[in-house]
Amino acid sequence: MDVFEDRARTRGQSPSEPSGGPEELLRLHRAGRLAAEYPRVKGLLADLPGAELARAGQLLTRLAPEDVLREHPGTPAMTVAITGHGTLSALRPVLTAELARHGLLSQPVLADFDGYVFDLGDPGSALYATDPDLVLCVLDPMVVFDEVPTPWRPADVGRVLDEKVRLVEQLAAKFAARGRGSLVLNTMPSLRRFTMQLVDHRSRARLGALWREANMRLLRLTDEFPSVITVDLDPLLAGDVAASEIQMSVYAKAHLSSGLLAAYAREVGHLARNIAGLTKKVLVLDLDGTVWGGVLGEDGVAGIEVADSYRGEAFNEFQRVVKQIGAQGVLVAAVSKNDIEPVEEALREHPRMLLRQDDFVHVIANWRPKHENLAALADTLNLGVDSFVFADDSAYECGLVRYALPGVRVLALDDEPTGHVTRLLEDGWFDVRELTDEDKVRPVRYREDLARKSFLDTFDSIEDYLRELDVRVRLAPATEAEAARVSQITLRTNQFNLTTKRLQTPDVHDRLGAADSPVLAIHAGDRFGDNGLVGAVFLRRTGTALHIDNFLLSCRAFSRGIEQACLTALLHHAHATGADAMFGTYRATAKNGMVKDFYPRNGFRKLGDDGATVTFRHDLARIAAPPEAVTLINELGADAS
Amino acid sequence: MNTIDDFLLLVETELGLRVSAQEAARSFDQLAGWDSMHLLTLIAAVERSSGRQMSLARVLEAANLEEIYLLAARR
Repeated sequence: MDVFEDRARTRGQSPSEPSGGPEELLRLHRAGRLAAEYPRVKGLLADLPGAELARAGQLLTRLAPEDVLREHPGTPAMTVAITGHGTLSALRPVLTAELARHGLLSQPVLADFDGYVFDLGDPGSALYATDPDLVLCVLDPMVVFDEVPTPWRPADVGRVLDEKVRLVEQLAAKFAARGRGSLVLNTMPSLRRFTMQLVDHRSRARLGALWREANMRLLRLTDEFPSVITVDLDPLLAGDVAASEIQMSVYAKAHLSSGLLAAYAREVGHLARNIAGLTKKVLVLDLDGTVWGGVLGEDGVAGIEVADSYRGEAFNEFQRVVKQIGAQGVLVAAVSKNDIEPVEEALREHPRMLLRQDDFVHVIANWRPKHENLAALADTLNLGVDSFVFADDSAYECGLVRYALPGVRVLALDDEPTGHVTRLLEDGWFDVRELTDEDKVRPVRYREDLARKSFLDTFDSIEDYLRELDVRVRLAPATEAEAARVSQITLRTNQFNLTTKRLQTPDVHDRLGAADSPVLAIHAGDRFGDNGLVGAVFLRRTGTALHIDNFLLSCRAFSRGIEQACLTALLHHAHATGADAMFGTYRATAKNGMVKDFYPRNGFRKLGDDGATVTFRHDLARIAAPPEAVTLINELGADAS
Repeated sequence: MNTIDDFLLLVETELGLRVSAQEAARSFDQLAGWDSMHLLTLIAAVERSSGRQMSLARVLEAANLEEIYLLAARR
């Protein structure tokens, strides 16, 4: 917080308050304008509390995705199917709303009641016929207790638990064999109305152990099958959410409470966002009142609250969580209204500061409006502002950023610092399927990039720069071990992504296993360090033609000649392995305009354009020389043909 | 919730379904846009709005929206 904000607050100014969401949605629904105004829906849902989000979801379930896609063809859409044991009708609207909250268009398909065994077990089922990206198989305690005899002992429950988990394991294997999409399972909550039916503590403990062992097996399925995700419901139930409501369970066979299904839908929403390639990448923090207590400009480095006081402990805890998140591939940056010198001094010299300069990929401290600084930061990192989560304790700054940069997800903190951690973690903004080696070193790589940029400023021409940068590229068939990182490239890369086809890890494994669809990995490095695996090429051979299904390069790596070097090598490789032509395709999105001319600029001729896909062909007769400044290590053996 | 119109406004805001007082007396299978799945959502909304718990078993036996209104309005 600073003096300008204080003044703005006392004048009651706020550029944009997120209010009126439910009313506006109902108005749009009544006017039949929801499809036409769909891009606004995300913002209207952004900060709605649970009950209102569920209500909004009911309105949205009346929306036909075709209508939205007709008005806004670029809207990311996803097919989600819901199956399980009990009545799950309450899940559909909340899930629709959670997906819409991330800008994702979906009309979840609700399978028949208690049909999960058939839905997942039969490859010809109606569920598989919808070709879902995501299948939710919702398990509840009645999966087990519906089959336990009366009277019962813990061993009876243990036997049914074992049967059911075995069944789920088989269904997961069937799903995995399908080779597409993700299956979401969940742990089954233990209910007191059953545990208390055992009058002795020893038996109750035995039942508790059996129940948890079954849940552990469900959780461990995630290790066995890359396409399976098991959501642990325990942490969701540790808040004030009830596991089950007795009337709903007995009369309507809805065995999990609507509150629990809503919390579950939120987790699934973040998973879907990741699968759709909409993952948040950067956490941008205000400093005064957010990272530490007090106002640095007034209290001085020694006076801010960082630890060793009541409020100091709360800020210390928040810093600890930020450091933890930053260690998992999330880029942490600071944007503060302060002079840079005291900020650097505080981060460098405050003895109790947990977050240091090195924990931030970039620290911006000046007196410009924060939305301008955020836009500049996006530019510096070569990322879109819609990959940013911004946390600030000033309602004024939050409002201004929301208004000026609607793509930024704003976390409005308040003056009670113990709430900061909850606010940061209540939504899984940075959720991914799995961490890769790349995630552990990402902040370092981005910092090296910033050094590269300063280095660039010292050259007159880009050629001189590239020569001095000493770029080394290795183009090689991707290995099984690299599948997760290759998948991640398809999920995170928006700009240098010729077709924006997102692939999950099992999809990549699938391609690696097929002889006619090689996957190539692009590794790069230069004088500033190793960039790691920065790109991927998906090939497909049909007859005497080689097709590039997709070509991707991380935003940290393009415009250094790497793409030309690789494409040239691919063309030579196609020629040398008997192909008579190479084909490439481009599908336009809101973000990949920069590669629109990638193929024509490199000797391809345009073949056709159906409005969505442009196809190109290279006859392999004259292949341009590779860029001089790039050293290419070509490991395309016969394997990659 | 004092009148059937209040109740039908709740139906519209909660379910996105506009129903006239006349249509409310039609059995659910004759009601355009109605889905049996809506019943549970509606009950939860009525309970929230009235602050009273309803007997779900009775509501599940109701043949149309009017009967649900009468159950909800019963004091």
